[in-house]
Amino acid sequence: MATGTASIEPAPIRADELVQGTSLWKDAWFRLRKNHVALFGLYTFCTIALLCLVVPFFTGYTYEQTEISLKASAPMEPIFLRTEARKAGEPKKSFIALSNLEDEFLEKSQSDRKAIVAKIAEGEVYQEGRNTYQRSSQRHVFGTDPLGRDLLTRVLVGGRISLAVGFAATLVSVCIGVLWGATAGFAGGKIDTVMMRFADILYALPFTVIVILLMVMFGRNFILLFVAIGAVEWLNMARIVRGQIISLKNQEFIEAAISLGLPSHRILFRHLIPNVIGSIIIYATLTVPNVMLLEAVLSFLGLGVQPPLSSWGVLIDEGSRTMETSIWLLVCPAIFFSLTLFCLNFLGDGLRDALDPKASKD
Amino acid sequence: MSMFLELENLKAHFPIYRGAIFRRQIGSVKAVDGINLQLRKGEILGLVGESGCGKSTLARTIMQLIPTTEGAVILEGRNLSEISRRAVRTERVNFQMIFQDPYASLNPRMTVYDALAEAIQTRQQFDKKLLLEKVGRLMRTVGLPANQMRRYPHEFSGGQRQRIAVARALAPQPKLIIADEPVSALDVSIQSQILNLIAKLSQEMHLTMIFISHDISVVKYISDRIAVMYLGRLVELGPATEVVEKPLHPYTKALVSAIPIPDPQVERRRQRIILQGDPPSPTSPPAGCAFHPRCPYAIAACKAQRPELEQKERHRFAAWIRIGEI
Repeated sequence: MATGTASIEPAPIRADELVQGTSLWKDAWFRLRKNHVALFGLYTFCTIALLCLVVPFFTGYTYEQTEISLKASAPMEPIFLRTEARKAGEPKKSFIALSNLEDEFLEKSQSDRKAIVAKIAEGEVYQEGRNTYQRSSQRHVFGTDPLGRDLLTRVLVGGRISLAVGFAATLVSVCIGVLWGATAGFAGGKIDTVMMRFADILYALPFTVIVILLMVMFGRNFILLFVAIGAVEWLNMARIVRGQIISLKNQEFIEAAISLGLPSHRILFRHLIPNVIGSIIIYATLTVPNVMLLEAVLSFLGLGVQPPLSSWGVLIDEGSRTMETSIWLLVCPAIFFSLTLFCLNFLGDGLRDALDPKASKD
Repeated sequence: MSMFLELENLKAHFPIYRGAIFRRQIGSVKAVDGINLQLRKGEILGLVGESGCGKSTLARTIMQLIPTTEGAVILEGRNLSEISRRAVRTERVNFQMIFQDPYASLNPRMTVYDALAEAIQTRQQFDKKLLLEKVGRLMRTVGLPANQMRRYPHEFSGGQRQRIAVARALAPQPKLIIADEPVSALDVSIQSQILNLIAKLSQEMHLTMIFISHDISVVKYISDRIAVMYLGRLVELGPATEVVEKPLHPYTKALVSAIPIPDPQVERRRQRIILQGDPPSPTSPPAGCAFHPRCPYAIAACKAQRPELEQKERHRFAAWIRIGEI
């Protein structure tokens, strides 16, 4: 084969002219590092994830360990030890929160009760019948739930579930949605019609019916959670990507790619999808909270996490029912939940800009 | 000897539908309506015509980007309209296109290196080092510094982008180049640079080229022969200088008279033919000669029959019935 380009090139290329490129992701990271808001999002998110992973081992409580007598104690509320002497065997030990301590002495007058509680709070050991009361050094940073379980541990352990579900299900929905939508949009015509009508049919089926059907077929299974959520969430993604691909595929650079004789999958993955990555990322960050809340709905239906295990969605749901009496049960998981979503949105925004080469390099 | 590229009665029609449920075809846009053309190897054919006459559709039909309604595109004896899509795909390295808008024809997410490397590797895979060198050379060839290969298209000016587009079209070492108004989106000062580049490269690489433009003066500069298109059909075909200096068809005459002359005295004295009205709709072209509603020389016979492209002189063809009369 005659090398046409070579024959008309006079001077050889100097080595220093052949610039080594940086990869797209390296480039993106370089740009992301300059975006302080996105970095804040990234670091905060990583901190939350790390807290969820590590801290439950060091709180001193497990997420399932109940302390019925403690009830719903407020964050950092003083806690007292009640030792009940028994005729046989070990004395029974239980914990009581400051707000519930007065209720132990209901037979006494109100002023007496106050005095006793004050005395115990000052460190005195108080004997009342078979019960001995004394101050305890135990503290619950986030308080406890109505069953006396440590809320901090529950929030962090629940965070593991929420983050896992949020990311796995979003990943599933992004993968299916992008592939489905891009293929339909790029192929066009009858293939497009058939693929999108199929998505419409799935969309029209009530979500709960699908879930119950899945439960009947496969039984309760944690993996099923991802499948069920992924199977619903990809529909929106597919539609968004399809619309974008359709508007892109008539651009001249796609015609140029076809003219080069590139195979369809290469045009799809190298030319079309990279140009819709901004929308994909933004929609994915919006999908994560959806998925986390959907998981709470599923858990309520009995498909998701089962008690005593919990998740942010479930904790917020439970917390909202007792918000008049114990607001911390709602606030603590909600802070984690919203903080995570904030961070993801900042990060998503930053990633979209970082992956766009038009954003300035310096 | 058979021709390098032959277009045989090439047609590209686009059906128009009406109704959502009972869709029926109510007509068709005849963008390209029966083009016959032969190109020798190494020849540069200029294709001129006003906006909407089907130039770009013809280009895309030859490039197999638009399905052929009828007729054939025969490249080196192989009928591209008949072979399978897969076979067309492997054949594509032999014919490449330079697009009109350099802002739309380059993928904004690919560096120059990525775009050119992809185009180079359509014929053959190379290892990284060799590829880097080939991309560097290619950039030099089109007059861009090789050390800018890691930049993205948006970092270049319009003229530089068009150079990248030219480089990409040349990268698979094609035999045929179709340049679809490659300079019309550019600044006038840049136009001549790109034009010179295309002219130089096509000569050095022995390319056969169809150069499309709405500006006959641009086409005259670069081409061996000129074909004039009106409403999906050719109305005149002949050697470039002859067509411009002594046009046969009244439409060509009008086009030629629109070329500005850089001498104000001559410019003021000369007569310009201003065509009345707009080109008719390609959905329902007028009966007979499609040009007759705007033609200053139209007679009754023009409405009756459609003139075919016929040889009028040596190497010269025109579709006009009154040649010799006026």
